[in-house]
Amino acid sequence: MYLTADAVEWTLAQPMPDPSIVVTGASLTPFNRRKDGSGFRDWAFEAFTSALAMSGLVPGDIDEMYLASESDFFSLQLNPASILASEFGLHDIAATRCEGGGASGQIAVHAAVRAISSAAARHVLVVGVDPSASSLSGDAMRELYGFSFDAWTDGMNGVTATALYALSYLAFAARYGTTDADLAHVTHQNRTNAGRNPGAHLRRSDSLAEIAESPIISNPYRRLHCAPLSDGAAALILSRGDVVPPARRGASRVAGIGASGDHMHLGARRDPGMFQAKTRAMQRACADAGVTPDRIGLAEVYDAYAGAQLQGLVGLGLTEKPGRDTASGVFAADGRCPVNLSGGLMGQGAPVGATGVAQTATCALLLEGRYHAELQPDRLPDYALADTHGGICTTAAVTILQRGRA
Amino acid sequence: MVSHRLTLDYDLHPGWLAPFVEGLVAGRAMARACTACARTSFPPQRTCDCGETSADWVALSGLAEVRFRTRGADGDFGLVAFEGADTLAVVALDGLSDGAKTGHILASGGPLARMAVGDLENRAAP
Repeated sequence: MYLTADAVEWTLAQPMPDPSIVVTGASLTPFNRRKDGSGFRDWAFEAFTSALAMSGLVPGDIDEMYLASESDFFSLQLNPASILASEFGLHDIAATRCEGGGASGQIAVHAAVRAISSAAARHVLVVGVDPSASSLSGDAMRELYGFSFDAWTDGMNGVTATALYALSYLAFAARYGTTDADLAHVTHQNRTNAGRNPGAHLRRSDSLAEIAESPIISNPYRRLHCAPLSDGAAALILSRGDVVPPARRGASRVAGIGASGDHMHLGARRDPGMFQAKTRAMQRACADAGVTPDRIGLAEVYDAYAGAQLQGLVGLGLTEKPGRDTASGVFAADGRCPVNLSGGLMGQGAPVGATGVAQTATCALLLEGRYHAELQPDRLPDYALADTHGGICTTAAVTILQRGRA
Repeated sequence: MVSHRLTLDYDLHPGWLAPFVEGLVAGRAMARACTACARTSFPPQRTCDCGETSADWVALSGLAEVRFRTRGADGDFGLVAFEGADTLAVVALDGLSDGAKTGHILASGGPLARMAVGDLENRAAP
């Protein structure tokens, strides 16, 4: 097709669209083990309709949809993006599934950002959902997760996610000198936050003694150092800045995104204890946002295990003294940079595909001052960070949000 | 609630990993040595960190030094350094004595090709 001179002039005469990307809708269902007969299609629909209502948009405004869902084994539903798009009344838009293990949700957020940045879409729906708790037995889930690393090496060895994370953490602890007391601090802090989150899976505040006496799963990890697998969904609607409904113009914006990978084999990494993919992802997101890590005022950090949070804080450049800064309250609810106010994966729970979407939605709600009242900080920071990874930080994806201006 | 049982019988093909997999079955540690920089990886890497894809299969001695060890309800696993390899490996520690710092690769006993390390006296016959 050839453009006429008039057509070119017409194209050039259009005002440049606002390049900012605004979080117009954000919603999470409760995370837990569902016993009410509902299924993942119900949770996804609930998250979608709630986010849509917040946005002030109607289904016909949505140009594209990205679905994060980790595994067909959980839902026994291949091609779930088309199923859910149809249920949402969005059967005539592009619906794409994103999968990157535990990072699936954040990868879907990034895909949506790129769809808007490339001018392919104005309003994009992101949904994350997985029935990670109620579909299969714990033993079946453990075996499946063994194959989420290299199936021909780690998977066939029978090594579990907990054992791999434990080996990585032991290497980290040997370098940073972190102790069981530091693992207990992280566990206690996240679960205490979860106790104030009405949508959290584990609303319990275990004492340090209870944590220290819980059964060993894979040393140094005890049962209470581990995140539960959950059922649930989360949804976001991202919109190009110039088409945001008036009521949502003060909402938070995507300031920067970054992603990276690492060797799939823990032993092939220069230091198996360091989350280097997270460092590269954060550097890219910070460059995209034009900020440095010290500008981050709150963060949702991927804490599949207590030690993974300590490793993550270092990888993200938020501290070089993870044990000391956690114990002294830097990352506490009233600290300089609250981490996992939601309770994190350890407290709020982990419906895997929903996790990254939920972390970003949580950051957006916190920056708007509309999060759960008991957890909402009085002072709103300028920037918030959603950090997600898959594998033993084999796939890392982070998003930095900026508080909107009313 | 609807209960449904799905049974899946896979025929998995190791492709380029065949020497590695066959080695594990026989109790041999088959590694890849990069033809450009000689970096030796076990488990094997298809593309070396230097970017080279050409490599030779080499048999390691099978001796492994335990760097980190975890045990508990999920089993006993280690991050170990095989003699002659420039990378570490995650292995199952099958009956490796408490406190043992070294072990030897074991022949896979089951249908899956496992990387497992046990006490030296349990090594496979050459």
